[in-house]
Amino acid sequence: MKATDVQSEIKELNLAYLMLAQQMIKTSRESAMLKLGVGSDVADIIEGLTPGQILRMAGSDMMLCRFRFDDGLLVNLLANHERDSAASRIHAAILAAGRPVEQVA
Amino acid sequence: MRMKSLIQDAQETQRAMEMIELGARMQMLESETGLSRERLLKLYKEIRGESPPKGMLPFSTDWFMPWQQNVHASLFMAFLGFIQRNTGLSGLDATLKAFRIYKEHTENQGLDQVMSLTRAWTLVRFFDAKMLQLATCTCCQGQFVAHAYDPTKGYVCGLCNMPARAGKGKRAAAREEAVAAAM
Repeated sequence: MKATDVQSEIKELNLAYLMLAQQMIKTSRESAMLKLGVGSDVADIIEGLTPGQILRMAGSDMMLCRFRFDDGLLVNLLANHERDSAASRIHAAILAAGRPVEQVA
Repeated sequence: MRMKSLIQDAQETQRAMEMIELGARMQMLESETGLSRERLLKLYKEIRGESPPKGMLPFSTDWFMPWQQNVHASLFMAFLGFIQRNTGLSGLDATLKAFRIYKEHTENQGLDQVMSLTRAWTLVRFFDAKMLQLATCTCCQGQFVAHAYDPTKGYVCGLCNMPARAGKGKRAAAREEAVAAAM
């Protein structure tokens, strides 16, 4: 994969992520915060972005969404379906809802 | 009638409608809105097309202890905790929002909806009355519903330590049979 390909893939993903996040927050704010794992200040910022701002943000060469489950247990629960998969998904949801959210410092 | 303001009356009616749609029973409606019993009955019949179930609400903290019930109650409490920590909502608003999220979650994941709105509301009231508490699992650090004053040192949740027949009740067996028969 060439560097320019990676760059454009990142751009596309950023754009999709920001647009989806904004749409989720506008439809149902609380449930979107839970699913995105962000606090109310971050939700405010994303909700208030104009299309132009979204395009400019997406165009940077940094990935805008971060790896959220930096917790071995949670990753295992989501990735391995060795036991009852429904049970491990509920387990992951309980743990994820209890985690601290991303905040703007 | 102790209702003074028309706006307040409209808001309470709106909220009662929302609760009835989510499946609230009369006891919950009566204690959470200031509307009269007759109006609530009428509303209930108009929305659901049938009379509300009669009789008392089940009142036992033990209901939340068997494996499946405990997992679902803990899931609901996790959502409620998230909402109380991260949004400005509290009280009934938080309960309703958490229940909506719980309902959406069970539908999306294809799970049985074990908790009803009235059950969830009772659960929150048990927590307010300090009859139940959240115990932290020593294995996964998740928080789970447990009896108040139970020792929580060394507590291991039902998901880290699954009982052998967890989630294998009569209904699950019937469903598996149906799937097997269809194939």
